[in-house]
Amino acid sequence: MNEFSFLIDGAKYIIDNPKMAVMWLIGGLLIWLAIKKDFEPALLLPMGFGAILVNLPLPGVVGDESVTGIVQWLYHVGIEASEAMPLLLFVGIGAMIDFGPLLSNPRMLLFGGAAQFGIFFTVVMAVLLGFPLKDAMSAGVIGAADGPTSIMVAQRLGSNYFGAITVAAYSYMALVPIIQPIAIKLVTTKHERQIRMPYNPANVSKTTRILFPIIVTIIAGLIAPDSVALVGFLMFGNLIRESGCLDNLSQTAQGPLANLITIFLGITISFQMRAEAFLSWGTILIMCLGLVAFVVDTIGGVLFAKLLNLFLPKDKKINPMVGGAGISAFPMSARVIQKMALKEDNQNHLLMHAVGANVAGQIGSVVAGGIILSLAGVWF
Amino acid sequence: MNMISVLLPAFRSVMGEVTQQDIFRSLELMGKGMLGILVVMILIFLVIKGLNAVSGSKKKE
Repeated sequence: MNEFSFLIDGAKYIIDNPKMAVMWLIGGLLIWLAIKKDFEPALLLPMGFGAILVNLPLPGVVGDESVTGIVQWLYHVGIEASEAMPLLLFVGIGAMIDFGPLLSNPRMLLFGGAAQFGIFFTVVMAVLLGFPLKDAMSAGVIGAADGPTSIMVAQRLGSNYFGAITVAAYSYMALVPIIQPIAIKLVTTKHERQIRMPYNPANVSKTTRILFPIIVTIIAGLIAPDSVALVGFLMFGNLIRESGCLDNLSQTAQGPLANLITIFLGITISFQMRAEAFLSWGTILIMCLGLVAFVVDTIGGVLFAKLLNLFLPKDKKINPMVGGAGISAFPMSARVIQKMALKEDNQNHLLMHAVGANVAGQIGSVVAGGIILSLAGVWF
Repeated sequence: MNMISVLLPAFRSVMGEVTQQDIFRSLELMGKGMLGILVVMILIFLVIKGLNAVSGSKKKE
């Protein structure tokens, strides 16, 4: 009988570790959200499948003392060693971004900064809930609405809730069309949402487009050195795009590179979704804190716009919804704001203003991540 | 003796003890973080304005 015990050893292992089966359900939920609801399928589907993979009897893809599992290897090489995967993904994201709306309307930078308030507010809330500071800082970065930044900060700080933070970051990014309208309507009136903003952009020269990523990298690197990797790779991708002489590389970065990294990133992140690490009250609280971060980010940007309006003449008022586009969920947030504006007034096109704020938010979020890492380097 | 010091021995939250140091550091992070972001954004704003001026960018009619 013993020679056939291998047939039932796996099932016995799961019976002894029922939490693994719970993770199968969570993995299934993520897959369902990805396929049925179209919630960030590029990440949630691999993460969901990965959650099932890493919760099968050892050694499987996780490995043990004698064997290194493939997911374990991907995690060590792609994330733990140097955060390579999220940084390489940022090259692709940088190549996709057109900073033109921001360069022609640079005051949108202010909203990209104001909309990062939720990150720091959430850190304070997490501390008050009793999370250690490094976990609180990692949870706050969910509000960056930026997957690679969230992954990098949580990994560098050695957060105990890496898996939950990553799932929360990508899940809430997919929920932006649901979360943002509710948050914006909470703090604005119909009249404010109907404010029209004419769009008179400045022409942006090619020289400006080429020098911008270089100079931003230098500035961010001098002020927040720990953001150099994030900002640098983002701007490198953008420089490839704007140079005009590397179309093949730009297309490769936006397409095959981004897709290749995305395929493996979700599965790799799932290494932190093993039942013993993921299933805890802390995970549930982290998911709640992530939602708080998103909501307060949006409200922060909107309230900042309303504050500016106190000092602006009547014909130059800012539609406060544009402030809400200052989060880093690009381009989804800009589209949400445009849709809300048209719903209030079908002649009010805010898309380009919102895109400017949205791409500014991308810069703001990586700078916020860098500042968090810089201060963590001093304290820990 | 400030309020936080008085409350701290009894301040055990949902996930564990809340230390005075962590509270102050989180507030310090909030202040320095928002200030740092503001400084970077203002510098980038000035850079963009400078680049647009030097490269002769004009408003579209």
